[in-house]
Amino acid sequence: MCGLREALPEDVTSLITLTLSFSGFEVFKLKDLLIYSCLSLLWLSTMSDTSVGPEHLISKWLEAKEFLVVGKSVSRIDALSKALGTAKYTEDYLMSEALFIKQVLSPEPHAIIKSVDVSGALRIPGVARVFTASDIPGINQVGYALPDQPLLAERKVRYVGEVVALVAASDYEKALRAAEEVRVGYEPLPHILDPLEAMERSDVLIHEEAGSNIAFRTKVRKGDVVEGFSKSDVIVENEYRTHHQDHIYLETEAALAIPDMEGRVTIIGGIQYPHLARDITAKVLGIPSSFVKVVVPYVGGGFGGKDDEGPLAAAKAGLVAYLTKKPAFILYSREESIIIHPKREAAIIRYKSGASGDGKLQAIEVTIIHDTGAYANRSPFILWRATMHSSGPYEVPNARVDGYAVYTNKVYEGSFRAFGNASIQFAVERQMDQLADKLGMDPIEFRLKNILEPGKYTVTGQLLDHSVGVGDAVRKLAEVSEWRRKYEEYKKFNKASDRFKRGIGIGVAWHGISTSRGVPDWSNSYVKIEKDGSVTVFTGITEIGQGSPTSSHIQIVCELLGVSPNHVKVVFGGTDAPDAGATHASRGTSIGGIGVLVAAAKLRERLVSLAASMLNVSPEDVVLRDEKAQVKNDPTRYVSWKDLVKEAMSRGVELSATGYFFLPKGKFDDTVGQGFAYPAYSYIAIVSEVEVDTWTGQVRVLKVWPALAAGRIINPQQVEGQVEGAVVQGMGYVLMEQLIFDEKGRILNPDLTDYVIPTIRDIPEIAKPVYVEDVFKYGPFGAKGVGEMALIPMPATLSNAVANALGVNVTRLPLTPENILKLLGKVRG
Amino acid sequence: MKITFKVNGEPVTMDVKPNELLINVLRDKLKLTGTKYVCGIGECGACTVLLDGEPILSCLTLAVDVNGREVTTIEGISKGDELSEVQEAFVEEGAIQCGYCIPGFIIMGEYLLRIKQKPTEDEIKEYLRGNLCRCTGYVNIIKAIKKASELKISKTK
Repeated sequence: MCGLREALPEDVTSLITLTLSFSGFEVFKLKDLLIYSCLSLLWLSTMSDTSVGPEHLISKWLEAKEFLVVGKSVSRIDALSKALGTAKYTEDYLMSEALFIKQVLSPEPHAIIKSVDVSGALRIPGVARVFTASDIPGINQVGYALPDQPLLAERKVRYVGEVVALVAASDYEKALRAAEEVRVGYEPLPHILDPLEAMERSDVLIHEEAGSNIAFRTKVRKGDVVEGFSKSDVIVENEYRTHHQDHIYLETEAALAIPDMEGRVTIIGGIQYPHLARDITAKVLGIPSSFVKVVVPYVGGGFGGKDDEGPLAAAKAGLVAYLTKKPAFILYSREESIIIHPKREAAIIRYKSGASGDGKLQAIEVTIIHDTGAYANRSPFILWRATMHSSGPYEVPNARVDGYAVYTNKVYEGSFRAFGNASIQFAVERQMDQLADKLGMDPIEFRLKNILEPGKYTVTGQLLDHSVGVGDAVRKLAEVSEWRRKYEEYKKFNKASDRFKRGIGIGVAWHGISTSRGVPDWSNSYVKIEKDGSVTVFTGITEIGQGSPTSSHIQIVCELLGVSPNHVKVVFGGTDAPDAGATHASRGTSIGGIGVLVAAAKLRERLVSLAASMLNVSPEDVVLRDEKAQVKNDPTRYVSWKDLVKEAMSRGVELSATGYFFLPKGKFDDTVGQGFAYPAYSYIAIVSEVEVDTWTGQVRVLKVWPALAAGRIINPQQVEGQVEGAVVQGMGYVLMEQLIFDEKGRILNPDLTDYVIPTIRDIPEIAKPVYVEDVFKYGPFGAKGVGEMALIPMPATLSNAVANALGVNVTRLPLTPENILKLLGKVRG
Repeated sequence: MKITFKVNGEPVTMDVKPNELLINVLRDKLKLTGTKYVCGIGECGACTVLLDGEPILSCLTLAVDVNGREVTTIEGISKGDELSEVQEAFVEEGAIQCGYCIPGFIIMGEYLLRIKQKPTEDEIKEYLRGNLCRCTGYVNIIKAIKKASELKISKTK
């Protein structure tokens, strides 16, 4: 563990190692990993030379011009059962014989655990057992990026809400009473809530073994920033602050574990990556991964939160079921959910940028500090993403960026739609507006002078060779939103209006697709055609509301095999399906769908050549559609799909296939933060109009115009749903959502009365998105990621619009009425 | 305490505790799991059911209070496999993502369209403001209610 820490962050292999460890593998030796990485790159380079590999199939469909169902608004198949109320979520599988689990939480932010007395709890009739760290048969270590986090607190606690023990009882009320009877003796230690203080202090260490409160560092060194600033005619420098956000998925974390189903510990849970939940549970139980099965039914929202907490809930239920040999059920109360699970990063960003008189960015100098909280969790990855996106989607010749993930005694940082990118794009885009203002240029014109295009280099020195439609997206957006006219009109409006001020703003953002650098990423799926011609698809991608396995995956199969959607069953979200990676990072369709496409394409090639021989034509002249294989240009000559399948079975044509694709990556040098960061980027720009009531401080968002350069749009209806949902979730973050911490770092508003999210009354008008389909060479039909995109520029676009309305500098979120009045100097802040 | 009431048209009789909540009776005893428990304090509307045709929050309603009355849950909205206009419109308009809030929205939609055949957008927002959704941004939910209203009107013509 110490050796691993010492290797950070300089070693290029370190994060590969970390990721493998977070994927559930044991940590490899660094040397082995170097060899592994080289070998896999070598293997890939030989693969790409052949025409039979998955890349060939992917590129064949990338070039398709006409589609049967791709690009059409198809209703998702799960909508029906969800409308009927018959769709099953974790809690709906609860069995009456299951033990209820209640968690015992630390009331202390930082303390030594002196004693745990469970005798009082055990005296309550119906209480089966109380579990602490010492009961864990395997390894009490669940840290994703760094091995710093126990499942159940060991020796000390590091935030208010840390789970110290689990109580299992025959019903909920007994478990609740027993949890209150568990007596934990704490010896309080000094605690630190402010990341800036934590960085400076070495007398109070949240993780002694780390030797510092800095959990992780990142950097970018490009060109010479001193020279860059000397060439700059205008320079803007600010410190930005962003705050935590809770996911508030309507379904809280839940898991039901059954101790011996099919000879395995089987867990049904709200999880975003079943294979990761399985591997973590197996590690905690000390049994092989293949002896744990995870099933993910419908999930009532994830947004990243169930990528972090889902596996931990699974491991807790798994532990109780495994040790008691009885089914065990855990369901977080809303209060527990908010207190325990990781949050969107709270960041401090110091940003200096300069541009020359001709409107060209010359240099950026950025320090990013993340209030990581008690455990690193995924914060090294979140910080890494923030650092490598710190220029925004612009070309910058000189950059110096330093990132710090800093431990504090608060709830820890985790995955949340945008993954470190909403806060940094907020800083970037506030800077861009202020530079434009100093240059006397229109904000959009200034952005377009610097915007990334094919052939340009990113802040990490990566050459962008394709799929960069952001410039076109911004230009089209300026047109449809009538940016220029409104920009001038609101100046007049504000002169005439005393109380209400109107403003317009833009936020442009980019988001790397797939894992970063050489970190392995793959897609994997298994597709089979049944005797009756129906098709079964197996994927580890889960259904968390985004709809990829219930819409785009089906469209891919229908497009390739010409079957009806009613004959396609996608079995999703379980560990008995191939590991398709996590349902996070906007990858459900863009990466998850590749395996489905490759497997279906393999089956198609086999069946088309069979049909060609039956119809006496060449395979190029066979079309699969309407459950038929028909001759192109002569639809009267055909074989029905069912007959084709029957014939295939009688002739020994294999009717099942795996679709596996390992994404090609490039080299990255972590010592200077330069090199290949991501295989492609999705881009988004959002223009927003706001009206601010200067008497009350209330900000009303009038209208929002999104423009997306996210490759092929496979299902416009589902994409619009993602965009609209992300706009409103982002608006909530900027204008109303806020966690309140007391002096011990305790969250004071862990319920839906005091943590306020947008209602139907708060939403703005949202225009139909502008699409620039800048296809991605490895995506299914060229699709890139969509799910997170519209949230990313929301802090940027809304704060720019508010700054435009009020003529003030906005550097802090949230823009609550109180904070708006502070900005106006009407209350003291 | 023994109570008798109707659920989705079927009479039921059972023993309940004086502090037992309607949602627990529906979900745990009657296995009508379509109704969802989300906040437990009446902030989100996910547990909405109809009591004698009026919307109530089943997480804040005592089971004893439904004695002698009629409860309609999401499972009682469709006629067999035939979707109601509201359900049909939610499916078609892309108003459903994770789906956890949807039973509450559909119940409120049914209620709204029964008392107002053609609600304005403002009325739709007014009636649905007590229901939280974290996925859709509400845009397609509004579209779905409007569509359901059209479907209902065209069927009665």
